[in-house]
Amino acid sequence: MLKIEHLTKLYGDKRAVDDLSMHILPGEIYGFIGHNGAGKTTTIKACAGILQFESGDILVNGVSVSKDPIACKQRIAYIPDNPDMYEFMTGIQFLNFIADIFGVDEAERKESIAKYAGAFELTGDLAQPISAYSHGMKQKLAIISAWIHKPELIIMDEPFVGLDPKASHLLKGMMREVCDRGGAIFFSTHVLEVAERLCDKVAIIKEGKLIRSGTMDEVKGDTSLESVFLELEGESC
Amino acid sequence: MLKALFRKQFRELGAWFYQDKRTGKNRSKAGIIGYSILYAFLCIVMSGLFFSMSSMICVPLVSASMGWLYHAIMCLIALTFGVFGSVFNTYSTLYSAKDNDLLLSMPIPPSRIILVRLFGVWFWGMVYELLVLIPAMIVYWMAASPGLLTIAMDIFIIIAISILVLVISCALGWLVAKISSRLRSKSLVTVLISVVFLGVYFYIYSSAYSMLQKLIANIETVGLKIRSAIYPIYLMGRGAEGDGLAFLLFLAMVLALFGLVWWILSHSFLKLATTRSGAAKKKYREISIKARSVYSALLHKEGRRFTSSAAYMLNCGMGTLFIAAIAVVVLIKGEWIRNTVAASFAEYDQLIPLIAIAILCMMTTMNELTAPSISLEGKNLWLMQALPISAWQVLKAKLELHLLLTELPTLLCSICMAVVIRPGLMASVLMVVLPQLFVILNASLGLILNLKSPNLAWTNETAVVKQSMSVGISLFGGWIMVIFLGVLYAAVGSRLTVELFMLIVSVLLALLSALALLWLKKRGTRIFEAL
Repeated sequence: MLKIEHLTKLYGDKRAVDDLSMHILPGEIYGFIGHNGAGKTTTIKACAGILQFESGDILVNGVSVSKDPIACKQRIAYIPDNPDMYEFMTGIQFLNFIADIFGVDEAERKESIAKYAGAFELTGDLAQPISAYSHGMKQKLAIISAWIHKPELIIMDEPFVGLDPKASHLLKGMMREVCDRGGAIFFSTHVLEVAERLCDKVAIIKEGKLIRSGTMDEVKGDTSLESVFLELEGESC
Repeated sequence: MLKALFRKQFRELGAWFYQDKRTGKNRSKAGIIGYSILYAFLCIVMSGLFFSMSSMICVPLVSASMGWLYHAIMCLIALTFGVFGSVFNTYSTLYSAKDNDLLLSMPIPPSRIILVRLFGVWFWGMVYELLVLIPAMIVYWMAASPGLLTIAMDIFIIIAISILVLVISCALGWLVAKISSRLRSKSLVTVLISVVFLGVYFYIYSSAYSMLQKLIANIETVGLKIRSAIYPIYLMGRGAEGDGLAFLLFLAMVLALFGLVWWILSHSFLKLATTRSGAAKKKYREISIKARSVYSALLHKEGRRFTSSAAYMLNCGMGTLFIAAIAVVVLIKGEWIRNTVAASFAEYDQLIPLIAIAILCMMTTMNELTAPSISLEGKNLWLMQALPISAWQVLKAKLELHLLLTELPTLLCSICMAVVIRPGLMASVLMVVLPQLFVILNASLGLILNLKSPNLAWTNETAVVKQSMSVGISLFGGWIMVIFLGVLYAAVGSRLTVELFMLIVSVLLALLSALALLWLKKRGTRIFEAL
């Protein structure tokens, strides 16, 4: 589904991502963890096609993000860590806009909006301008907009920040649904408990380099993900 | 405590002067000196205008023993100027100050917060008022040579008027706060109010001279009318002339009004500062879901961006309104324009189509929609980059909104001008085509400039639509282009017919537009993708 091959991204002299390779298969929820500034957001942005990189390649279902970005973007949905959206639009105008861009027909978008906005209890606020939304509401709207076109791959940067417990629970269920229908999820998080319980596979990145990856059991063994992470980060538990 | 609050207020008052709004950083010394010179120049120009106006009416009124009417007129102008200048500042300072929550959370009595806030409002009202009253009083003192006591009373009248400005600003600011909290289309209403204000301003500006002439010719009648309609103003005028009783009565009235405002504010400040009434919540209906093509969705998004921001519309889109207005004027006053132009340019009638085109092209540069459009994406840029659309589709939508809002009124205006001027078939066609090409070139150049110097890290969009380099260069660049074409005609015009010159310019503009569009499609898209 998503193949990252020897990805390298430089910011001046600094190697933000250094020869990173990963492979996310259909049906997998893949967690991406690392400390602040480790290169998670840079990798995620490169996968979403909004950041150009120096070398390597990223393939979505075999299509290169750098060679045919539009074809890749048609198959993916991306939610950034800070969901800045068009504040001059109302919630429903924004969802309509996203659905228009992805060519979702009216009946399908009506169904999706009713389903997800209802689940997130956002239906009553859809006619309000986004500028009036709280951070959590914006996050919910970003999630609905990502799910509206039924993407094969969903890439999310810290998706649980700002969500209330009920919405977090709902999102976890929605992530599993995507994988059950053959899609895949690639997301970064600082909440290691969530990653441990939710992810099929996990990758740990440090200073732009992948230092460990694999299934949850392969990465953490008998200990907790937190212990492994702290150990790899060079701190005592 | 009060000292600390006043220090904060002084810092707030001075922030616009020593701080750059775009970057939030303090200006350099050279920047502060430059700003000082600029504002001093503006103050001198404004005061100079009021000085000449005062000079015009002061002597006739003082000679007719109607000095009070002179003071009444000038103080009414100062009052209006002060209130209009400070009413929106009142709204933001008094009713929607960002630090209300912070100050209210500290052990500060609300009355002290009000006092400090009112000081800020009073200060700005006073600044605007002084621009009118300093020259007005100087003219009066020169013309009437009053005694020291009258001069002292005049100074007290200036202070009293500033308090009156504060009182009226507070009331109007409250009204603005109430209306603003209930409005849905705030930006459109702001644009409408601004346009009406501009219209009134231009009307007064164009008819000021004849109004003053009428006033001088009918001093007695106007004096009687003002005295019977607004007696406090009569008292104020008499007070400024040295009538002690009138002065005291006027002062008492102003202080009473201030006391009333203070009482109302001190009893309602907490509620005003902590209540967020907001517009009524709009109910969501499923019929709001409508499918559009990608092209239409992007164009609608640009349109919504434009209409959502009063600053964007006022600074970059007023050309649409003005060009349409000119078209209507040309259509209605066609006969008069034709006769006037024929009489004025009897020997150079071949230049008339060129002058009309030059005026129209200058007007089209008032629309600068593309010039800040990339910067306006700001923090939302990720959306355009993450969605499955090409950079060219994004840029094209920005260009098309500009063209839609500029070319349609320009086309209408060109046709109206051609109908009125009747320059012949070939020239008529070129009068329509040339401005259209000019608009395309201007829109493309605006976009190129913004791609080359984007500002995506703005905190206030005014910095982008008003002060950005791309908007400035695009506006003045358009004018320079028109002037250059005028100079070109002066150089080669004697060897060419006007039609041939217009044709050559049209071809040149078409070529440049094609080059600009090609650049946008090739280089521009790459720059956009890498932003």
